[in-house]
Amino acid sequence: MTHRMYAARQRNIGLVALALATLIFILPFLYIFLMAVKTKQEASLFLFNWPAEWQFWTNLVDVVETRNYMLLLAYFNSTVITVGAVTLLVIFGAMVGYVLQRRPSGWNRVIYGCILIGLMVPPAVVPTIWVLQGLGLFKTIYGMIFIQVAYGLAFTVLLYRSFIGTIPRDLDEAAIIDGARPWQIFFRVILPLLKPVTVTLIVVQSVAIFNDFTNPLYYLPGKENVTVQLTLFNFQSQFQSQYNLLFMNILLVTIPPLLVFVFFNRQIVAGMTAGAVKG
Amino acid sequence: MAPVSTSSVILRNIRKSFGAVEVIKGIDLTIEAGEFCVFVGPSGCGKSTLLRIISGLEDTTSGTIDIGGRDVTDAEPSARGIAMVFQSYALYPHLSVRDNIGFGLSLAKLPKDTIRQKVEAAAEALQLTPLLDRKPKALSGGQRQRVAIGRAIVRDPKVFLFDEPLSNLDAALRAQMRIELSDLHRKLGATMIYVTHDQVEAMTMADKIVVLNAGRIEQVGSPMDLYNAPVSPFVAGFIGSPKMNLYDGMAAGMGCKTYGIRPEHLRLTNENPRWTGTVRHVERLGADTVVYLNVPGLGEMVVRTDGNANPAIGASMGAVPIDGREFRYG
Repeated sequence: MTHRMYAARQRNIGLVALALATLIFILPFLYIFLMAVKTKQEASLFLFNWPAEWQFWTNLVDVVETRNYMLLLAYFNSTVITVGAVTLLVIFGAMVGYVLQRRPSGWNRVIYGCILIGLMVPPAVVPTIWVLQGLGLFKTIYGMIFIQVAYGLAFTVLLYRSFIGTIPRDLDEAAIIDGARPWQIFFRVILPLLKPVTVTLIVVQSVAIFNDFTNPLYYLPGKENVTVQLTLFNFQSQFQSQYNLLFMNILLVTIPPLLVFVFFNRQIVAGMTAGAVKG
Repeated sequence: MAPVSTSSVILRNIRKSFGAVEVIKGIDLTIEAGEFCVFVGPSGCGKSTLLRIISGLEDTTSGTIDIGGRDVTDAEPSARGIAMVFQSYALYPHLSVRDNIGFGLSLAKLPKDTIRQKVEAAAEALQLTPLLDRKPKALSGGQRQRVAIGRAIVRDPKVFLFDEPLSNLDAALRAQMRIELSDLHRKLGATMIYVTHDQVEAMTMADKIVVLNAGRIEQVGSPMDLYNAPVSPFVAGFIGSPKMNLYDGMAAGMGCKTYGIRPEHLRLTNENPRWTGTVRHVERLGADTVVYLNVPGLGEMVVRTDGNANPAIGASMGAVPIDGREFRYG
C-alpha cells in the first residue's frame, strides 16, 4: 500500500469515527434543544424537525416560574447537597485512605471488607429510611448529604489509598522530624499532593450527585426539599404532559454538569492516570 | 554562619526487634560533642535502623538514648534537637525551596520575618539564594541535596543525622559533596552522624568510624586506627580499597584461622617470593597498577604496585608481604 493510500484510509476512518460520535453524542442534545423551543402542540408530536415556531424565551420563563420558582430552589438544594457531600467525601476519603495505607494493622482487613461491601452490596431503601428516621435525619438536606457520602466513600477511599501508596514515606518522616503532628502531616504535606486525584473525584462525584434522581426521590420527599432531577416531574403527569417544558427543564439541569466536564476534562484524564508514572 | 550548640550522643544497650527478628543486638556507643561519626557496614547490618532509632522515627525495644545529657528515649523526634537528611532528600514536591527550608519553622509558629531571615541565611550559606522560589522538580540532584541540608541547618539542631545522603549522586558530584559536608561540619561544629555503605565516604569524612555487622558493633575507631589495626577479618575486609586479601590460615600454612594482607602491602618480586602465581588481570589506574594473581592452593591475590609496572597476562609472578603488615586472626 502506498503512503498516499494509507493516509487516505486514515482520514476516512477518522471521518467515520467523527460521524459516529456526532450521531451518538450530539444528536440527542440537538433533539432536546429542538424539543425545548417548540410549542406544546408541536412538541407532543415527537418529531425530529425544525420547530415551526420558536418559543425559547417563553418556555424558559415558564419552566423557571413553575410552582413558585421551584427550579431555583432545586438548584439551591442540589448545590448544597453536592458541595457538602463532595467536601466530606474528599476529606474523609483521603483520611481513611491515608491511615489504611500508612498504618498497617489487624483492622485493615476488616476495613477493606467493609469497603468492598460498600462497593458491592446494593443499598436497601426501607431500612435506610428507618435509620434516618431514628436519627431524625429523614427529609433533611443533612440526611441526604450523609447518604451520598456513604454511597461514594468506598470508591473514594480505594482511589485515594492506591494514590497515597505512590507518595514516598520519607515525606511523612521528614515532616515528623520537622515537628509536624499527624494532622499537620496530612493537611500540609499529603493532601496537597493528592490534588490530581482530588480534582478527578470532585468532578466525577459532583456530576453523579448533582444528577442523582432515585436517592433524593426516596430519601428526600417534600416540596421544600426538591432537587433538580425531581423538578422533571413538574411537567409530566398521568393526563397531561408538557413535553416542550419538560425538555427545556432537562436542558437547564444538564448545563451545570456539562460545564464542569468541559472545564475539568483535562484534569480528569490526568487524575485517572496519575501515579502511573512518577513525576 | 555562627557555630551552633552541640551535643554528645550516648547509646546504652540499644536493642531493636521487628517481630521475632532482632536487627539491633545490644549497642553501646558514645559519640562526642562535635564529632563526625560514620556508621558503616554492609546492607542489612542495621546501620540505618540505628540512625532511625537515634532520630526517634523508630522506637527501641530496650536500651536508652541520651542526647546532650538528656534522656530522649521516649521523646518525640522534633523534641530531640536533631535534624535528618534522607537518602531520597524527601523534599516536599508541592512547596518552593523557600517553603521547604522554612517548613519546620512555620510549624513551630515562628514570626514570618524570623522565618524569612533564617531561611535566607541558610540559603546564602548553601548558595541556594537564586533558587529559593523554584520547586524541587526544577532542581538538579546536587541542588536538591543542598536544599535537604538547608532544611536541616535552619532548625539549629544539636545533632545532624545523614542517611546515605550521597548515594543518589554521580561520582564527581559525590566527591564534591564529601568536601562540602566536611566544610559544613568544620563551620558548624555540630555533632554529625552519617550512615553509608561506602567505605571511601567513611574514611574521608569521619572522625570516628563505627563498623556494624549483623546488628552488632564490630569496631569503633578513627579511620586510620581501623585501617592499621582492624580487630577482625570483617573490619579488615571492609576498610581499604582494593579489599584486603583474606585466606583460610590453615590452607595458607600460617598457623592461624584467617590470614590477611592488604594489596598495597605486597611487593611483586621474583627473588625468594613467598607466593608465586600467574597474572590473570591487570588494572592500570595511572598512579598505580592493580595486579590480579592466580596463586595455586590459595586462590586470587590482589597486588597494588607502581603505576609503571605492566606485567604480561599469563606471566608467572612472585609476591612477598611487607614486614609487620600481615594480619593473623584466630
